Amino acid sequence: MEKHRQFTMKDTIYSVVAIFAALVFFFPIYWAASTSLRNPIDTFTVSGVGVPFLDFEPTLNNWANQLSTPETQQALINSTIISTAATLLALLVGLPAAYALARYRYQRIKNKDLTVWFLSQRVLPPIATVVPFFLVMRTLGLLDTHLALILINATFILPFVVVILRQTFVELPYELEEAAMVDGATFFQAFRKVALPLALPSVVATGLIIFAFAWNEFLFAITISSQRAITIPVHMAGAVDTRGVQFWFMAVRALIAMVPPVVIALLAQRYIVRGLTLGAVKG
Amino acid sequence: MTKNQAKLIFLLPAVIWVLVFTVFPLGYSLVISFHNLESKVEVTRTKVPVLDDDGNPVLTRSGNPRTRTVVERESVSTWTFMGGKNFSRIFNDNQAGTSARVTVIFVLAAVSIQLVLGMGLAVLFNRRLPARGLLRSVMILPIFATPIAVGYLFFTIFFENGGPLSWTGIPWLSQANWALFSVILVDVWQWTPFAFLVFLAALQGIDEEQLDAARLETSSERKIFWYIVLPALQPVIIIVLLLRLAEAIKLFDIPFALTGGGPGIATQSYTFFAFRTGLRFFDVGYASAMSYVLLIVVMIIVTLFFTRLRRSYA
Repeated sequence: MEKHRQFTMKDTIYSVVAIFAALVFFFPIYWAASTSLRNPIDTFTVSGVGVPFLDFEPTLNNWANQLSTPETQQALINSTIISTAATLLALLVGLPAAYALARYRYQRIKNKDLTVWFLSQRVLPPIATVVPFFLVMRTLGLLDTHLALILINATFILPFVVVILRQTFVELPYELEEAAMVDGATFFQAFRKVALPLALPSVVATGLIIFAFAWNEFLFAITISSQRAITIPVHMAGAVDTRGVQFWFMAVRALIAMVPPVVIALLAQRYIVRGLTLGAVKG
Repeated sequence: MTKNQAKLIFLLPAVIWVLVFTVFPLGYSLVISFHNLESKVEVTRTKVPVLDDDGNPVLTRSGNPRTRTVVERESVSTWTFMGGKNFSRIFNDNQAGTSARVTVIFVLAAVSIQLVLGMGLAVLFNRRLPARGLLRSVMILPIFATPIAVGYLFFTIFFENGGPLSWTGIPWLSQANWALFSVILVDVWQWTPFAFLVFLAALQGIDEEQLDAARLETSSERKIFWYIVLPALQPVIIIVLLLRLAEAIKLFDIPFALTGGGPGIATQSYTFFAFRTGLRFFDVGYASAMSYVLLIVVMIIVTLFFTRLRRSYA
């Protein structure tokens, strides 16, 4: 990209195209926001792209209504508990493995193959484990519990932790840990007191990304939960079945579901490329 | 603690976790796929004499002991070995065939559009733009949006009687081919930004000097793109392609929310059909067999890319 150059006609045209593209991708989210602020009577009669105040008188009634229903609140609480617990669990189990794959050399099975083995869990179609998981949870009496969904979500996001953070540890200098161990630190202390603090920004970013994945998970949630453990995505699906098409509420629910992971995406922006390609591409 | 012990202790929890929660279910699923599981509720009715407080039978007026009926319900699961019948059934099942076709069309169309469009946008955004950071942030939003919510959100957008796209007169969700097109469109909306973002990052990592040298040779930006930029991006393109293929083949959330698999079964993806079979009609043997076929297909795709993949994690 050339710098210190006049903004040419060509640049202007390309800029217009780029802005238009961004608007196209933004439109659905804008439309949800616009619909969520409409009175039911305005939902289908609004002209143009439905600008609040201009095309209709906005109201916060739909938001107040939805946020005050116990089902929505319960689903929000459930989703928060399940995603948070699954994230922490995956980090607890996955971080030492990520570190070990970066620092130690395994003989019988090569590090490379171990890493790809973890990675392959991510590629696995979840439908292949949903039936046995359902049957096992039914036998254990764990259907419709937070625990079942915490375990399964932790399983899904574990490969992210191992593969992405392995890359992070590889990029950290080993000398500091070696020095600490010369001074008498154990292997565990070298990991926890030296390497982990250095990797912290990346650990937090990875934690945010896997939290969003757990938050969005639907297939297992709808299989396992029926009442007490219903998460936000399942709550959305259920509401449509029972209440019919009420677009103004649907828009509110869609936004309630989408806002946390979307905010996370913006917060962890710098890490998204690395996170979503499991460390294969450095952003 | 020796180094060898540390090596094991660090790695073992994660390995055990995967064995328990992934490998064991997969093995169990393989067993199920060769069986037919029938869950029945067996009802037994037994007549028991009614006793009074002292434990003596209560007699009816005619002198016989009075009885009441106790109903016991017990759910019994019977496993019948089916051999390979569940697997051969897939290939004779029209619904399975349709769902496989829907999935293949979806995967090919959605992934290729995402890659081409993502590359185009990445090249566009790699130029001088006003507020590039802001525009880039806007483009990121769809990636992390809850897929189920996205499905319902687009249901309102594709609504044919008064939705924002109803002026087109297109039967977005009510006609079979258009409905599949709509499902593809939603996935394109959600995942083109992913390809875009990764490609943009890769473009910005290309050596400037190499580009400047090429610019001395030719003034054709198109030639530079084809002969310098694209080959340089090849490894990244392959990774994005693999990740998108593996992800797209699992298609479930969007048709679940957007079309419910309809009209008819026109947008019922393979995973959706297996889900219905196993967890709505509880034909778990057949569903497991279907899942295994999908698993094998995914494994073939991954193996095709395996050497490349292993290299990038070396």
